[in-house]
Amino acid sequence: MIVFDGVSFSYGSRRVLRDVHLSVGFHERVAVLGGSGEGKTTILRLILGLIKPDEGRILIEGDDITAKREEELRDVRMKFSIVFQEGALFDSLDVKENVAYCLREYTSMSEEEIDSRVREILGSVGVEQAIHLMPEELSGGMHRRVSIARSLALGTPKMFLYDEPTTGLDPVNADNICRLIADLSKDGRGFIMVTHKVSDALKVADRFIFLKDGSLLFDGDSRGLLHTDAPEIRMFIEEIGHQGQGC
Amino acid sequence: MDIKALLSDLQNFYTLAYRGLLGIVRRPFYFKDAMIQMDYAGAGSLVIVFIVDLFVGMALSLQLSAELSSLGMKMYIGMIVGISVVRELGPVVTALVFTGRVGAGMASELGSMVLGHQVDTIRVFGFDPVKKLVVPRIVSSLIMLPALTVIGVAVSLLGGYYIAVFVSHQSGTFYWSSIRNILTMENVLAGAIKPFIFGYLISSICCYMGLSTKGGAVGLRQSTTMAVVMSIVMIIISDFLLTRVLLYVLGFSV
Repeated sequence: MIVFDGVSFSYGSRRVLRDVHLSVGFHERVAVLGGSGEGKTTILRLILGLIKPDEGRILIEGDDITAKREEELRDVRMKFSIVFQEGALFDSLDVKENVAYCLREYTSMSEEEIDSRVREILGSVGVEQAIHLMPEELSGGMHRRVSIARSLALGTPKMFLYDEPTTGLDPVNADNICRLIADLSKDGRGFIMVTHKVSDALKVADRFIFLKDGSLLFDGDSRGLLHTDAPEIRMFIEEIGHQGQGC
Repeated sequence: MDIKALLSDLQNFYTLAYRGLLGIVRRPFYFKDAMIQMDYAGAGSLVIVFIVDLFVGMALSLQLSAELSSLGMKMYIGMIVGISVVRELGPVVTALVFTGRVGAGMASELGSMVLGHQVDTIRVFGFDPVKKLVVPRIVSSLIMLPALTVIGVAVSLLGGYYIAVFVSHQSGTFYWSSIRNILTMENVLAGAIKPFIFGYLISSICCYMGLSTKGGAVGLRQSTTMAVVMSIVMIIISDFLLTRVLLYVLGFSV
């Protein structure tokens, strides 16, 4: 269970989260929605301990991570697998080395074993043919897939975190990524997906959180989201009309 | 910039510089990363160091030749070129070239890694960015800048020789024997200590600026510019301070 207990966070003088109270189970499929700069990505960074809240506590399985030092956070971070916006692949390394990055550091696998494991993971996300390409040679969709593959290299996490996984992708590629996200959570592992694309969120998530001015404006299921009267959310719902209903 | 932010920046810089230095002797060691950085910093800078130091040596020799010939003391070209290059110009000019090529590269590479969430990814994977990114760059600077300085000094002396012999028509044998005479332990030490200090300063400043990058392309431009400017200023200031201390410690009278 992830618990935000009265969390506030500011970037300089700009407050992005205000007294946020939130609980998410590791099995839940959550979409965090909201406009740009509303603190969606900040939530993911707070969960991983990459930034510390100004106020409040964050508990991961009952463990308060807010006071933990960098070296103590490794075990917490290993529970998650994150795919950052636009993939965040290491651009000096090819696809194989990106996926093998942790394998080389944390395992004593031979070169053959690493090659075989990398091919297996890349195959599972459908980009085995890109193994020797450099990140700049990948399309947006392949970039995200390789990033997902890299996050799976060390094993299966308890929960996936996706930061705008479909942003900048054409509808076909976005659809493929949504399908991959849904497939990866079939065995009961949940995810938190940060997105501003309601249509994509509706394809994969069961619970929807809408952020506005640093607070939770909505927290509920798809039915509640689609029938809410809140004008800020209605504006987002309109987007579905333009892009086509995804569910 | 307000005082609080400035003090906070200074504290963060000293912490990073200290942890970077400590990381050289503390596990884990990332030899492969250090080797990649050494290749970039050393082999990649060789040509530009060669060209710059060659022309600095030639220009210095030419200036001295013009001035000393009016005093009838052209035979001292070798000695003065030698002392200037070994103790002062070689280390400083090579460090400035190193800043422009390697330091700027460090700051912009780390800055773009920050903006592209690659540094966050490294942290999420359980690596310490200081160990993984900063220490290899400090190690490569501590090894490659002194090595480049030795090459730069040799090339500068060669440039000085060319002017002394083929333009000023001095004896080449006398030029080299003058150089040999000034290569005393004190002179060599006075020049040899500087590149280590400069290398540490350049890598620490540029890594700090790179890792502090915020705000997209404009932020990257600012951090890279700041890294180069701060490094150059610190090289010049620390060169003066080091010269003062080394002259005193090595027993030179001023």
